[in-house]
Amino acid sequence: MRVVLRSAIGRLRLGRDQRELALLYVACLVGALLVSLLLIEVNGSSWTRAVNALVDGAFQNPGRWGETLRRTAPLLVVAVGSVVATKAGIINIGQEGQLLVGAMGGAFILTLVQPGNPLMLVLGIALGAAAGALWAGLAGALWYWRRIPIVLSTLLLVYLSSQMAAFTLTRGELLLNVVPGEPNRLLQSAEVAPGSRLGIIEVFGNRFPLSVPVALAMALGFGWLLSRTTWGFRLKVLGLNPRTAQRAGVSDVRYGMSAILVSGATAGMAGAMMLAGGESQYKFSSGFSSSVGWDGLLVALVARNSPLLAVPVAVVFAALRSGSTFLSVAGIEAVLVDVVRALLVVALFIPPAISDLRRKRRALASLTERT
Amino acid sequence: MTQPDVTVVVGGGAKAPSPAVAIRSITKSYGALRACDDVSMVLQAGRIHGILGQNGAGKSTLMKILIGLVTPDSGEIHLAGERVQVTSPQQAADLGIGMVHQHFSLVDALTVWENVVLGDRSSRLDADRARALVAEIGGRYGLGIDPDARVGTLTAGQRQRVEIVKCLRRNPRVLIFDEPTSVLTMEESEQLFGVLRQVVRDEGGTVALVSHRLEEVLKATDDVVIMRDGRVVAEMPTSGTSPDELARAMVGRDVRLRTSDAHHMRSGAGTDGDVALRLSGVTVRSRRGGTELDGLSLTVRAGEIVGVAGAEGNGQRVLADVLSSLRRVTSGTVEVGGAAVDTGRAGAMAAAGIGVVPEDRHDSGCVLDMTVAENLALTSLDRVSSRGALDLPAMRESAERLIAQFGVSCPSPDVPMWTLSGGNQQRVVLARELSVRPKVLVAAQPTRGLDVSAIEYMGDRLREAAADGVGVLLISSELDEILHLADRIVVIYKGAIVGEMPNEAVDMARLGMLIGGAA
Repeated sequence: MRVVLRSAIGRLRLGRDQRELALLYVACLVGALLVSLLLIEVNGSSWTRAVNALVDGAFQNPGRWGETLRRTAPLLVVAVGSVVATKAGIINIGQEGQLLVGAMGGAFILTLVQPGNPLMLVLGIALGAAAGALWAGLAGALWYWRRIPIVLSTLLLVYLSSQMAAFTLTRGELLLNVVPGEPNRLLQSAEVAPGSRLGIIEVFGNRFPLSVPVALAMALGFGWLLSRTTWGFRLKVLGLNPRTAQRAGVSDVRYGMSAILVSGATAGMAGAMMLAGGESQYKFSSGFSSSVGWDGLLVALVARNSPLLAVPVAVVFAALRSGSTFLSVAGIEAVLVDVVRALLVVALFIPPAISDLRRKRRALASLTERT
Repeated sequence: MTQPDVTVVVGGGAKAPSPAVAIRSITKSYGALRACDDVSMVLQAGRIHGILGQNGAGKSTLMKILIGLVTPDSGEIHLAGERVQVTSPQQAADLGIGMVHQHFSLVDALTVWENVVLGDRSSRLDADRARALVAEIGGRYGLGIDPDARVGTLTAGQRQRVEIVKCLRRNPRVLIFDEPTSVLTMEESEQLFGVLRQVVRDEGGTVALVSHRLEEVLKATDDVVIMRDGRVVAEMPTSGTSPDELARAMVGRDVRLRTSDAHHMRSGAGTDGDVALRLSGVTVRSRRGGTELDGLSLTVRAGEIVGVAGAEGNGQRVLADVLSSLRRVTSGTVEVGGAAVDTGRAGAMAAAGIGVVPEDRHDSGCVLDMTVAENLALTSLDRVSSRGALDLPAMRESAERLIAQFGVSCPSPDVPMWTLSGGNQQRVVLARELSVRPKVLVAAQPTRGLDVSAIEYMGDRLREAAADGVGVLLISSELDEILHLADRIVVIYKGAIVGEMPNEAVDMARLGMLIGGAA
């Protein structure tokens, strides 16, 4: 424990490089914010109103921070899974599809088994995780069997997943909720059985589902798994130097596949928990994933592959989501939030990119200097 | 472009011409470290100058200053009597200074001619002209190379040819070679020295050969400058010196040179130990169908050092890869201590008791972005973990022990591996491989790129390992190293062992023939 503490303190003491990095972060964020505000002004709205609406929507108004937390959960769970894959050197970018497939898998139990019970809830989430793992596993199998690049296959499987989800919503014997006497224009499933819904926690009038503490626990758990277990250690070796890994006994099929499956399972689980947690009124529809998968991937990227850092980043991303609903109410185009988010992401990428570049140069210099 | 080298001397030429390069009082510090401390030297046209020194003596820094990669804190550079400020390699090229770097700056995916014209700023890419250029320069200097070959498929020696062609095409007046032979076979080195000779003799150029190898400085240079700790400590014509004198000046103390006395101490040792490693009829075919190992058989007994001699590119790399579980054999068996090992299965060789100090430690020896402690624990994770959870204090403790035991110089076990110097990275790899008490230790080109004292250290450790009963397989294209360390010498040629002899009864003529494939 003492060693851990000491190394943590050692890390906190900022050297010149870290100070520069911190300064760069601040400069980039301020830059991004200025550009965002400018865009809002140019667009004919007032930036003070926009900021007020965002803050109101995300935190200030009654019940809003509960809403923000509700949206944080799936982002965080997806991000944690992405971190695991990236650590192993695997670039899974298909979380959007894995999440959708997971929600769909969950829907087969959660919406079809009525009136539902806690066991069905657990089974539904498990089936969602399994479906997500299967979806990502397909890409993994293609890679280890025929060397089809995972970036491509995971991405393309996203499109396949939305077609598949749409198909299940065209048939009454699958997920479509057929209401007698009404044309089924809505193309959505029945509601999640009341007994199978995730419990709701209420704090000071803020309501959020149980998926929030679950997500937090997963972030902590995977943070521990990655840094303190032989599994995490081996994933890291595999990701950083596959040949050294092979020599040291880290089988790329075994560990690489485990990382892909975990990242798919977490995305799938996120989808199933969204459904059981009340997303789109507990009904599954073909647009159900609504970019949570993509955003979760971004959270992982911005958090620089640290599950713990992903927690605050996920909150920020969720706040932008929940705040954006208030923008349209204030007469400002909600699309602006997407622009702001993109600007923030870009701004957060610049400092580490610069420091990486410097580090590489220095490593190169030290390589030649000493000879 | 200026033309500083045109000096018209009227009359009988009573005035001595200015030297091609004069370096005056160059100083360069990196923080507290003085890489170059008031260095002055003169390089004459028509001569090959050896610049000798250990790693860290400041030779590379000096050359980088000359080529404009590093700006000196103070001092002057004069080219043919005219003071110049070299601020970039581009400008150095315009001034007629070219450098062939130790680490190649080639793009693997491109062909030879593409690499040669890579730095060009001209608007159009003329493939035929570039091909002709490569062929022409190659022909002139005897550096034959296929302009359309992909660089990724070339051997180290061939890659260096590409680098040299790239440099020579600009017709430099001053040519700098930074440790050029560290990746070359004996033959290739000879060939390189021929090229150098031609540059100075036929074209009146100036060559600076940076090296830490005594033999090559003695063999290839006219003058030698010796640097130590950032200073010039001696300067002399090569013909009037001896290896011992150079070595003393270079390290500042008497070193044990590569003579056979060290080896005599343990000659005949270990020849009757149990068989630690046995390869029988090992054949490896590449995916494209080429045969990389061709029925290779050899045995290593416990307590002996077997040296695998041979010119580079005869399957040494594949042999090391097989013993690192990086390649699966097409046929044949590998046995460690009498038990067959499943080749190609991750970690199988390490688990069976084969430690490897690989040829390229960055490729399969260590993880640069992980800490020293983590790198030391790579192959023995179960020792620093219980039921899958890492025991960080134990990992740190074992790292501290190994760091002390193997004299790794690093500020803490928690610094990333990439912050260490090459020699210290090598020690980390060696420490890790020996810490698991292997039955067999494979050392592939273990001293490549290391300085004299690091080489000495490596040799001592290998001998110690053998004395402890480890079977050592030393794969090296440096015959000296093998003669110096091995008890038994086998020769690899075209993927097979073609001959074997004990070191105490070595027949140099036959050995040379075997290596050349003529026996």
